[in-house]
Amino acid sequence: MPPGKDLQSLSDQEVVALARAGKEAAYRELLRRYERPVFSLIFRMVRDRALAEDLAQDSFVKVLNALESYRPEYKFSSWVFKIANNVAIDQLRRRELNTLSLDGAPNASTRDEVEATALQAVDRTESPLSELESKELGSHIEQAIAKLRPEYRSCILLRHVEGRSYEEIAESLDLPLGTVKTYIHRARHELREYLEPYRE
Amino acid sequence: MSHKQLTDQELDALVVRSLSRLPAYAPSRGFEAAVMARVMLPQPRPVALYRRAVAWAAEPRRAVALAGSYAALALIALGVVVPWLVSHSPQISFALDWALGRSLALVHQTSAAFAGWTLSSGIAQRVQSLPVSAPAALAAGSLIAAAYAGCAVGLHYLLRTPRGLDATLPAQA
Repeated sequence: MPPGKDLQSLSDQEVVALARAGKEAAYRELLRRYERPVFSLIFRMVRDRALAEDLAQDSFVKVLNALESYRPEYKFSSWVFKIANNVAIDQLRRRELNTLSLDGAPNASTRDEVEATALQAVDRTESPLSELESKELGSHIEQAIAKLRPEYRSCILLRHVEGRSYEEIAESLDLPLGTVKTYIHRARHELREYLEPYRE
Repeated sequence: MSHKQLTDQELDALVVRSLSRLPAYAPSRGFEAAVMARVMLPQPRPVALYRRAVAWAAEPRRAVALAGSYAALALIALGVVVPWLVSHSPQISFALDWALGRSLALVHQTSAAFAGWTLSSGIAQRVQSLPVSAPAALAAGSLIAAAYAGCAVGLHYLLRTPRGLDATLPAQA
């Protein structure tokens, strides 16, 4: 480690170099940096907390056990999201979990989780603007995201929830840049359509 | 309460804004530990090679084959070495006698040289001239011996298992 710098102030590449040298604290630092974004991405993809935990674990085990094969010319975050997305997509293909339950995801245990994962009847007593501006919009958006195709879901989550650039998303998902832009455009269009009842 | 109809741009902006405000979910508390338990940390190359060799040899068939090979080689070695020793016993006995004689001669020479140096350097006279009586020398010798024994006993107690550490634990309620 460069003198006078702690792990938190180092770049991903520097932390990876330390991890490759066998420093356990560097592994934990990488885990700390990406556990929330990766878990959030996978949770929103599969909509099952226990399954998302298992898949996030699998993703990190793959990432951390394969650090030797990581090529530093690519962004580390792209590599991590690529592996996490592949794990989630594989799971969705295997078990076809991209369906919605009216009562929320099977493992939603808290009220927030149930609200975030359940389909809710539209209450249109409020005006569109106040309705859309309300806190409930988040849960409606979550539901709308769950209805998107998995490819669109990955793109829109990485772009607008994780704040990744188009180039990084293309790198993460192994897609051409134009395809990523198209997917995000279509995903936003579909989200607008799902939220159409709130327009007025 | 506004009843204004949202335009496409406004709705799109709201979608983007809402997406960016979605919370990040956190995994459960044991997540990091669960991942780290499954991660193989890099080890120094010799350690990794040794562990790989041990793991390779631990497979039952390989272990039996290795043990068999070892026993066969030991038998072959015995079958070769024992007859050779028997057939060369006179020469071996002579060589051992010669080596022993040379070693004893070397010890004698060294002792004689040390004794001669002690006398010629005057150390013996200086020790004799020290104003120490025989009872005082005896007392000092005894004191040193006692101190040495005390140190030995102290070290023994210091290095042994701490008292009570291996006592049986009370049964859990």
